[in-house]
Amino acid sequence: MIVIKLIPHAVSWAVIALFLVRGFHAGRLMVIISGSGGFALGALGALVLFRLLPPESAFGIIRGGLGVSLLLLWGVAVMAAYRPFWKRTTYFEGTGFTVMCACLAGCMAGAVSASRLSGSGTSLAPYLALILVGGALASYAGAVEKRIPEWFIVGGPSLAAVVVALLLYGSSLSLRLDLFAPLTMKVMKFAHDFVHQFMESMLIPDHVFIRSNLWKYIGVLFGKEIGFWGALVIWFTPLLLIVYAIQFEPLPSVAHIRQGAERRRLLAVFIHIRRYRLIPALLAVLVLTAAVYRSCVPSVEYWDPKPIVVTATPVGDIFIPRKGDIDLEDGKLHKYLFRQGGKEARFFIIMGPSGKLTVVLDACAICKPDGYGQAEGTVICYYCKTLIPLDTVGRSGGCNPVPLAFSEKDDGVHINAVTLMNEWDNTVQTTTKVKGAGK
Amino acid sequence: MIANIIQTTGLTRSYGDICALKPLDVQVPEGEWLSVMGHSGSGKSTFMNLVGGLDRPSAGSLSVGGEDLLALTEDGLARFRREFIGIIFQQHHLVPYLTAVENVMMAQYFHSVPDEAEARSALERVGLGHRLKNRPGELSGGEQQRVCIARAIINSPKLLLGDEPTGNLDHKSTIMVMELLRELRSEERFTVIMVTHNQEVAAWGDRTIYLDDGVLVRDERANSR
Amino acid sequence: MKRLPRLCWNLISSPFTCPSVIGIFVLVYIGIAFITDDALIVLMELVRRNGILVLLLALLPIASLARLIKEIRCFRSGYQISTGDPSHDGASLFDEAVELETAAPFDGIEETIRTQGYTIRKEENRLAAWRGITHAPARLIFLLATLCLYSGIFISLIFRTSYRGPVIEGEPMPGLSQDGGIVERIRLENGKGTILSKRLTIDVAPSGQGGGQASFGIYPPGLYQGSFVYPRYLGIALLVRFSAPDMHGTFEKHAVLNMYPAGKEAEVQIPESPYKLVTSLAEPDDGLDPYITGRMVFNVKLSKDKDVVLSGVLPGGGELNREGYCIAFPDYRRMVLTDFIQDYGVYFIWGALSLYGIALLYWLPVRVFFPRREMLFVRGGINDMVTAYSRTEGRERSHNSLFHNLLDMLDIGKIQPGG
Ligand SMILES: Nc1ncnc2c1ncn2[C@@H]1O[C@H](COP(=O)(O)OP(=O)(O)OP(=O)(O)O)[C@@H](O)[C@H]1O
Ligand SMILES: [Mg+2]
Repeated sequence: MIVIKLIPHAVSWAVIALFLVRGFHAGRLMVIISGSGGFALGALGALVLFRLLPPESAFGIIRGGLGVSLLLLWGVAVMAAYRPFWKRTTYFEGTGFTVMCACLAGCMAGAVSASRLSGSGTSLAPYLALILVGGALASYAGAVEKRIPEWFIVGGPSLAAVVVALLLYGSSLSLRLDLFAPLTMKVMKFAHDFVHQFMESMLIPDHVFIRSNLWKYIGVLFGKEIGFWGALVIWFTPLLLIVYAIQFEPLPSVAHIRQGAERRRLLAVFIHIRRYRLIPALLAVLVLTAAVYRSCVPSVEYWDPKPIVVTATPVGDIFIPRKGDIDLEDGKLHKYLFRQGGKEARFFIIMGPSGKLTVVLDACAICKPDGYGQAEGTVICYYCKTLIPLDTVGRSGGCNPVPLAFSEKDDGVHINAVTLMNEWDNTVQTTTKVKGAGK
Repeated sequence: MIANIIQTTGLTRSYGDICALKPLDVQVPEGEWLSVMGHSGSGKSTFMNLVGGLDRPSAGSLSVGGEDLLALTEDGLARFRREFIGIIFQQHHLVPYLTAVENVMMAQYFHSVPDEAEARSALERVGLGHRLKNRPGELSGGEQQRVCIARAIINSPKLLLGDEPTGNLDHKSTIMVMELLRELRSEERFTVIMVTHNQEVAAWGDRTIYLDDGVLVRDERANSR
Repeated sequence: MKRLPRLCWNLISSPFTCPSVIGIFVLVYIGIAFITDDALIVLMELVRRNGILVLLLALLPIASLARLIKEIRCFRSGYQISTGDPSHDGASLFDEAVELETAAPFDGIEETIRTQGYTIRKEENRLAAWRGITHAPARLIFLLATLCLYSGIFISLIFRTSYRGPVIEGEPMPGLSQDGGIVERIRLENGKGTILSKRLTIDVAPSGQGGGQASFGIYPPGLYQGSFVYPRYLGIALLVRFSAPDMHGTFEKHAVLNMYPAGKEAEVQIPESPYKLVTSLAEPDDGLDPYITGRMVFNVKLSKDKDVVLSGVLPGGGELNREGYCIAFPDYRRMVLTDFIQDYGVYFIWGALSLYGIALLYWLPVRVFFPRREMLFVRGGINDMVTAYSRTEGRERSHNSLFHNLLDMLDIGKIQPGG
């Protein structure tokens, strides 16, 4: 099972190694050694993290590393796009730089792969096996690279793009390392704050005075979807910058050549090579797209029951038996749907690790009410992919499901229908209604 | 000593039973203007096609401009034709719906990238500066052939092949074309090999070889001119 | 000692300064975003408080000013070269510069250049040819706009002061100074604008301090005593009179209530008593906005502790007498909750936005239809050799091909034979 989980990581590490060998001209062996060394370092580092820290912080650190690599890619991309203004530099060449880059890339790949092992304890053996496999893959990639035709050129920025894209793809396979979903939330927050601040500083009138159909468009900027689109922009812009930098690199000056045919030949060769240099960057775009897809449609198996329709007694009491067709105390999440007067509300009941039943809405205070599913030890918000540990379900705040008042009797759980409807209305309204700039 | 741009030993080309070119040994020094004569079916075109890389010999060795044409791959041969050879045929083979400039640019495109200013100046050099935007149908035979010359020399070939380029022209146009070719050769210093049936045209060259049934029967060096 | 200022200047005017500074702020923002959800607001607060960040922010307008000066200079020397000022070395200003090994006269190429639509200026030893319109003005406007934007952000962030107060009909304008003029009238109308759905007019009488008659709308905001008048919310200023059977005397109070549009509820807490009044504007039967017509009817709900003890409808000026309770709104006036904002950065930002617009309007058609293309041939030096320069702002393939062919013509003397 674990091995199957690791296959995509192994493949992406092999591809990373292959590109590293092709991208750096400093000698195949050195790149392979420093890459594998980095991989080993990353895997062992991850093991140390998992032994020393609680899983959330360990994952947080690895995710932070991924975030830094995305930032670095941004830096590389911006510099590449500025390249025409640049005099040629030699900073980014030389053995030391090569070793450092290969080592860093290996380190991240190792850490990401190793984090998949965290579920099965912290014994050393599987990590050592992973490291061996990583080294073998890197050497194999080095051998394969010899057979790849020479026209397949990997420039510095494209190399960075491919490596980071593959790392992010690897991270998107694991819910706890996924970067895209949290980025979505941050971007949403930023967009909201920024538009708000902009309107305040430019003294732009609030929605009271603006035409409502125009406000609909402005409201998009405050909406939930803006987070997704904004995150896409942050995700793909560096790649587009790199593609732009390659595609619009100025043609070489041929004015000193006094034969038209020769001038044209040089230009044609340049244009021809440029086409090939685009391939890795476009490949990176594909990989990142896959990462976004994985992040939005995670392949993790959730416990995601279909909501059961419940009704209330005439006095507005919803009763759910403790042991009926469904055993409330089996530790699984049980979803219910209640309809009243054309409106409906969802809630779920779950028994926490402490052995107490909890009743919460199937929605949180900040996200679109896409609901929750259950994964190992946690429930997950389908909208923002936040994992909520089971022992905090029932507390309010953040993306936690909104707690619901209920009374627990011997035979089961009683919920007041009015409370439920009101609670649902309040929650869903605050998350779906377009908020005004001034609140 | 001038290097030989073309060197063949035992060059043979046969089509099934028909042997169009018997084992042939020729050397052409760089910069020479060689005329090739012989009656119809004697293998002149076959020889030209081999030298121009349009066809591959059945046996023998053939080196053009230092390249062993038998050793080249298809891609290599294509690059060789692009960068080394210019050809003018009896039929002009111009694209009828493109203008003169566009026809020349077409050759640039297949070589590398089009360059209109250069195409224009090439046409000006062959004296067609005033007919840049005309289509082949609107040009006389002599003018068409001059467009072909512009097209043949646009990529600065080392070797210009002509397969009866003046075959369809009257006397006056023939003279004009030949004079133009000579002028261009003095500037660009390419080697010319020209197949012709016309004794007078052949006389423009430095040397004339005669083929008969695929065999080189005579090799004459002109003493004047 | 001269090298230090020079180094500073080069640093400041480098095109990398502003991107680097912005990069630093982005990094700080990301750092803050890890800690708190309100990263932008925290960042703004941090910048206001932290001297280093203020200096860093100030670097943005300074660097863009330096950039502007540098590019103006560059533009001028480019102009001087093309007009024949020999004191400049032009090579760096052009895309291509070639020294030819020929002293051929320019006559041969002149005609070719002309037929390609270039304008020619010929002097004894030089030939300049150009075509199209330069985009340099757009570039300079763009830089100016950037300067304005950064300055605006800086001023706005560091020096903005604001004060929120209710503007009430018949009352003096609120504000930091105590002598605002009396607000004569507040008028709300349904507007037909494409952006604004309402038109709000606040008429203010002359004040004691020499401020004349004034009138304010929504946008663009007007200035009152040096502050922008920025209407935020509409509401009603109510005089609330209330008595209850278990209360001594009558409670009376002016309340400023944020209760627009109709239906939006506002609370009045009756002090030292368990009573709370919740009131809202009733939806009128005629469907017209009561704030516009002035015919106001209020829904009132009286609650004691947590129970609603009385609810009813009360027309403005009327009275509600029931079960010993008495609620009356003898006086009601329109109110606009207004921010008074002193911030001159806003002008800069407005300026920047319009300058960006102008730059775009200039640049786009010029770049698409008439990009500037220049070439310059100069004969000089020891053997009177020709040096040629060329520069394009667009359509560079065709320009370069022409330029290169002209060089060929000059070099080999391949001038057309008469044709
Ligand atoms: N593709 C072919 N297939 C078969 N036989 C061919 C082919 N091409 C040429 N031949 C034969 O080879 C011989 C030489 O032909 P080639 O075209 O070289 O003659 P030529 O000297 O150019 O004649 P002409 O002066 O009429 O053009 C002829 O007998 C011809 O029939
Ligand atoms: Mg023939």
